[in-house]
Amino acid sequence: MLHVHFILRQISRSRKQAAIFVLGAALAIVTLVGVNGFATSIHRALLKDARTLHGADIIIRSNHEFSRALSNALARLAQTGAVAGARIWEFYSVVRTEDDQASLLAHLKVVEPGYPFFGKVKLRSRRDFARVLIGGQIVVAPEVLSRLRLKLGDRLHVGGARLTIADVVLQEPDRPTNFFSLGPRIFIAAADLQRLDLVHKGSRVRYIHLLKVDNPRHLNRLAHELEAAAEPGVERVTTFKTAESRLKRFFDNFLFFLSLIGIFTLLLAGIGIQSALNAFLREKEQTIAIMKTVGATGSFFTRHYVVVLVALGLSGTIIGLLGGYLLQVIMGLLLGDFLPENVKLIITGPEILRSLGLGVVVVAMFSFLPLYRLRDLKPISIFRKELVPPPKGLVYYLIAAALFLFFTGLVFWQVRAIRPGLYFVLGVTLLILVTAVLAEFVLRLLKRLRLPSLVLRQALKGLFRPRNATRSILIALTASLAAIFSIYLLECNLDAAFIKSYPPDAPNLFFLDIQPSQHLEFTQALGMDAEYYPIVQGKILAVKGERIDARRERQRRGDNLGRTFYLTYRNHLLQDEVIVQGQQLFRPDWDERQVSVMDTVAEIKDMGIGDRITFKIQGIALEVRIASIRTRTRESLRPFFYFVFPEDTLREAPQTIFTAVRVATPAIPALQTTITKKFPNISVIDVTATIATFARILKRLSRVIRFFTLFSIVAGVLIILSSISATRWARIREAVYYKILGAKAAFVKKVFALENLFLGATSAVLALLLSQTGSWLICRSVFHIPYRPFVYASLLLVLATVLLVLLVGLITSLAILRGKPDSFLREQTQE
Amino acid sequence: MNKPAARFAVTVLVLMALFPAGCQQDAGPEIEDHRPLDDGTIVAIGDSLTEGYEVAPEEAYPAELERKLRRQGYSYRVINAGISGETSSGVLSRIQWTLKLKPDIVILVTGANDGLRGIDPQLTATNIDAIVRQLKARNITVIVGGMQMVRNLGKDYTGAFARIYPAVAQKRGVILIPFFLAGVAGNPQLNQADGIHPTAEGYRVIVANIFPYVVEALKEHQAKIKKN
Repeated sequence: MLHVHFILRQISRSRKQAAIFVLGAALAIVTLVGVNGFATSIHRALLKDARTLHGADIIIRSNHEFSRALSNALARLAQTGAVAGARIWEFYSVVRTEDDQASLLAHLKVVEPGYPFFGKVKLRSRRDFARVLIGGQIVVAPEVLSRLRLKLGDRLHVGGARLTIADVVLQEPDRPTNFFSLGPRIFIAAADLQRLDLVHKGSRVRYIHLLKVDNPRHLNRLAHELEAAAEPGVERVTTFKTAESRLKRFFDNFLFFLSLIGIFTLLLAGIGIQSALNAFLREKEQTIAIMKTVGATGSFFTRHYVVVLVALGLSGTIIGLLGGYLLQVIMGLLLGDFLPENVKLIITGPEILRSLGLGVVVVAMFSFLPLYRLRDLKPISIFRKELVPPPKGLVYYLIAAALFLFFTGLVFWQVRAIRPGLYFVLGVTLLILVTAVLAEFVLRLLKRLRLPSLVLRQALKGLFRPRNATRSILIALTASLAAIFSIYLLECNLDAAFIKSYPPDAPNLFFLDIQPSQHLEFTQALGMDAEYYPIVQGKILAVKGERIDARRERQRRGDNLGRTFYLTYRNHLLQDEVIVQGQQLFRPDWDERQVSVMDTVAEIKDMGIGDRITFKIQGIALEVRIASIRTRTRESLRPFFYFVFPEDTLREAPQTIFTAVRVATPAIPALQTTITKKFPNISVIDVTATIATFARILKRLSRVIRFFTLFSIVAGVLIILSSISATRWARIREAVYYKILGAKAAFVKKVFALENLFLGATSAVLALLLSQTGSWLICRSVFHIPYRPFVYASLLLVLATVLLVLLVGLITSLAILRGKPDSFLREQTQE
Repeated sequence: MNKPAARFAVTVLVLMALFPAGCQQDAGPEIEDHRPLDDGTIVAIGDSLTEGYEVAPEEAYPAELERKLRRQGYSYRVINAGISGETSSGVLSRIQWTLKLKPDIVILVTGANDGLRGIDPQLTATNIDAIVRQLKARNITVIVGGMQMVRNLGKDYTGAFARIYPAVAQKRGVILIPFFLAGVAGNPQLNQADGIHPTAEGYRVIVANIFPYVVEALKEHQAKIKKN
């Protein structure tokens, strides 16, 4: 039988604690719903962007017409309706104006209806691409018009056909998949392919087949099926998930980051609920002991407290869900324009159910242990001020094990992959263990301190007062702060590695094959400052006296020393280069010939300063000594060279010169025309469109990720605050005793502030230590990006944490400090 | 090694070199030794088709040619002076450097990269003519390897391109291989997956094709020696 009055009294008696518990649970749920819901939307958006980059689910490429086996497999799949396909023929051709006065090398893309399956080809007229690109009509890049001095409606000779320019293409979704192009784009309808008379034996054509799968779940199976039919090494089958693109690593890393945030949030939510609950129940211990003294049974408490907690937990969950819904509405309103069009912050039904279930289970699991402990609470504890550690029997360990397994399960559910899931679980377990050890260490250290001032002594003693649970607060605080700091640091690092590598001044125009004799004249014609890179081709004969076996080298995974290298000479470092070994690029004190080596290539053969490399440059052997080792921002778009020689070593060798500059889009056609007219041998490559697509996608996603990071950080901070206020509440009562003993409010405030300072600073510093280590590990071994510690931001994090903890401590203590001790004492005796 | 970065490095630089880096002569000291064998030195100047993209150094045509010459009793050394991705402008720029190899005979196979970049055939013709003129001025026997351009560039272009080689050969009175890749171009069995670079087997076919022209050049060279 349930005693309703008892239940109500339990809740109303400690209204504030109950409210904090409900709030804590609600916050945890809002965070879980929000993070999971948003993660799902962002995950979807990321995948959609990856798909748009290729315009299809499955992409098959070959330099030859497709083999019979593959064609049959494709036909079979198309017949069953499992895939829809569109063929593409991509090749260069020299197109001519109708009057034969001007010609231009253009990059033709002959496409079948259906292309692109994802994303849109944006036309200047804003018309639908499929409607414009019909037989007899072509869509051209703006440069085609400007360089041939044509306008819409004019006709162009393409192979054997005369086609009308119907529109101008502004954006091609799958552009970044082929970064460089020697000529501007021209789209042609597949219906005109025969008339072009350009695709024959002896033509160099890229045959591409784009496929859209009917059921995304069958993607991998279908891709495997096609791969089995394809000729190995000749016909390449990839999916939008596996296709290598410059953005793939970015996508992979951010998807991983999303799941990381999910796990951290879970951890934070758990910690939040647990500490709120503990504080609530600790308050009840006295009551329970008294009631036990007057004859209440253990099962009476268990029964009733289960009801109390279920009621509180459920209200927390429901408030949390409502909050989640509200959050979605508010975010939608606030960020509607801010977020990219294809990212919708929609929290779906299943997401809500999942979070609800999660919330209830988390509350239940975390409540079980404290409830179980209540059973064994002895009446004697009324008189004991010491905290009696509850007996840790089999049940205790079973429950702990169940909790661990439950979290492990959740992690696997979140990550949906065995190995990363395992790493996560191990990582989080390690995090908590290390935190516990560190917390213990720091506490012992503090205990030994002999402090001169009374305030300091009291503050320190406060930490070790019975029932103060300093250790568990410290662990909870450190673990959750470590999670938050890590999220922040990882986001900063991802941003630095990927987003910042597309600076607005990244070069967009590349000039290749400038001859040394043209250098001066070219510089004048270009009319702007530019870095010129001389290129000398050479091979490596030997490293440290050991001959390089080209054949064996080429079997090496990744880069190898058996290939031809592009060598250069200059006496200065480039903007994004740093010397990691050695004092300067070259040693003035060496008489020998020298070279500076990039770290990535030095690693292949463990090369160091003073080692010798023998190159062969156009038949001439050249032995040089390594004077320095350089590194560079790896994601940067700037050109780089593995081997840099002093100018006098290579100046005479056969070379071409290459440069890359940033030119404003409107100025490009004129410059391009001037250069190609004056120097017909120089190829100009315009990567503006590609860079723009890259930068757009990266910027958009980084914005979303940043928002998401911020959201999870804010939520995490709120959870931490609620748990601090929950646990600190009890501590504040000490104030009363101080007051009774005649202490002034200022003294009490100082003691509490110092105590909170100890807590805040210790946990923030420990958390920083842990998060720096963790983030470094993740950046190096999972993301494979260089790690930056963000020292100032880190210090700011610590400072902000300390201030926050102080502030929360102060706010929670204000009510008591203002109150008279007698009212509190009276309340005490009533219980 | 960071793969995308490596790939990017290759992409950026390869573009100056339409034909990506391949493999050059192997590093043996015997090849480093450029002293002529008894009869003389042949220098094979060209792009990746000469350098031997993605085939072992001893499988590229200059090495194969040297072996075949020896089998036939000619003691000529054949030096591979191919640079991947090089255009005819590049060859013209480095011709003085190449002359340091003191060739008796030069096999000049260049222009493919000009064509693949859509460079005006007129420029390619001027460059090749200038190269041949400089070689001839030093009394070097020249073989010009004729090239044809991929058909997707259009008949006008490929026509103009194909006319370059006979025109120069005729004007300068040098030996012409009508089409260096005859019987190899467009044959998937003799080319790599990229469809333009010959395999080792492809190079054997090439050497068989060009051999008569080389023998013609050897005779011309030996006649010159006798004359002196």
